[in-house]
Amino acid sequence: MTEPAEVETTGRFLVLLQEDAIEEGLAELGAIAGFDPNTGELGSDTLQVFPELGVAVVSGDPNLLAELNGAAERPGPVQIVEPERVVHVFDAAPAEEEVEPAADESVLTWGLQAVGADVSTATGKGVKLAVLDTGWEKNHPDFTGRAITTKSFITGEDVQDGHGHGTHCVGTSAGPRKPATAPGYGVAHEAEIFAGKVLSNAGSGSDGGILAGIDWAVANGCAVISMSLGADVPAGTPYSQIYETVAQRAMAKGTLIIAAAGNASQRPARVAPVGHPARCPSIIAVAAIDVNRAIASFSSGTADKIGQIDLAGPGVDVYSSFKLPEKYRRLRGTSMATPHVSGVAVLIAEKTGARGYELWARLASTALRLPLPSTDVGGGLVQAP
Amino acid sequence: MTTSVDQVMVSVTEGSLPGVLDDLREAGLVVDTVLEALGVVTGTAEVRVIPSLLSVPGVIDVERQWRVQLPPY
Repeated sequence: MTEPAEVETTGRFLVLLQEDAIEEGLAELGAIAGFDPNTGELGSDTLQVFPELGVAVVSGDPNLLAELNGAAERPGPVQIVEPERVVHVFDAAPAEEEVEPAADESVLTWGLQAVGADVSTATGKGVKLAVLDTGWEKNHPDFTGRAITTKSFITGEDVQDGHGHGTHCVGTSAGPRKPATAPGYGVAHEAEIFAGKVLSNAGSGSDGGILAGIDWAVANGCAVISMSLGADVPAGTPYSQIYETVAQRAMAKGTLIIAAAGNASQRPARVAPVGHPARCPSIIAVAAIDVNRAIASFSSGTADKIGQIDLAGPGVDVYSSFKLPEKYRRLRGTSMATPHVSGVAVLIAEKTGARGYELWARLASTALRLPLPSTDVGGGLVQAP
Repeated sequence: MTTSVDQVMVSVTEGSLPGVLDDLREAGLVVDTVLEALGVVTGTAEVRVIPSLLSVPGVIDVERQWRVQLPPY
């Protein structure tokens, strides 16, 4: 038997973890690769874990390999690291050509087209939208002249977005249609933006700051609050009674809360439950689909009777604004699907005058049904009026 | 004996703010923020006093705060 001259690898690495120290091993991997394996936005794609096997698959920079190997050589929970190989089927018919309809993003992002924002006359003008996240890149050139009200609820940090996530979510929900360089990427491009910083530049926050942000948005008369944040919970975890009360009170005052379901699934093997606070019945829980209208592999779903998916939005390969100097970035996550849904809600609010539960009803009843389980996408893909 | 202190959130009935604050403080809540539009008070309290907070007239629920974390980019 001869060895092939070169083994084809995928650029990903397989990591064998010590059998009785899987958690510790994942923590060490997280530290090396620079993300939190428990809550990573890109978790499902950057790090895939097979706990039954004690194996993790890590994708990332080739430089990671050296660091991972270092960890494997040290005593500790990371035992073996090797490049993931490409495996071919023997003597099989050539794989069918995957027809990937590449989205035409020369004018607008695929997400805006998928929600029908491109053919809607609504702009969000006169409607207030709150985005509670990591803040806002106040020097972004695409937002010059826009009315943006900001407030930080993080002690010791101003609203300037040192993370990027918040600027991305503001961009998708309310960014421009005709920036200096195409494509346009904002759903409700004339909405009045309230950017509340409830997550730090390190991306962390707690209920205290989030509730303070909701209070601020309600007090300012925002029709919609977009929250691309949450904490993953085990199946069966009760929803927060306090957030439920808060959401009902906000709704009664004309403010609809829309939140990301979470990115904890590893489909098709595992569907993770909807996280906190999206699992509250009076908060809209948003799932993510891709350009082919398939459920995103990471999108958390209806895994128990408590947290249920309500609606879906574009959440893979989403182009939007980002903190400087990058200015733009493509990201994935139910965090990216949520501002699409929030932007559409703002357009409906503008066009119909609906607020609160009526706005929810109109948002849900006009969503495009998808040939996917309702446990994954709820009532389907939201559509601009 | 160590005392465990936690960040908590308290929902109260409509109209009970600000009157309920004194009772909450007396029951052991260190008030951080009063969210009037929502009828919620956030703060810190020793875990063992949570039942006393719950028994304050006007209080609906008391829960410990969750933390959320995004990945760095």
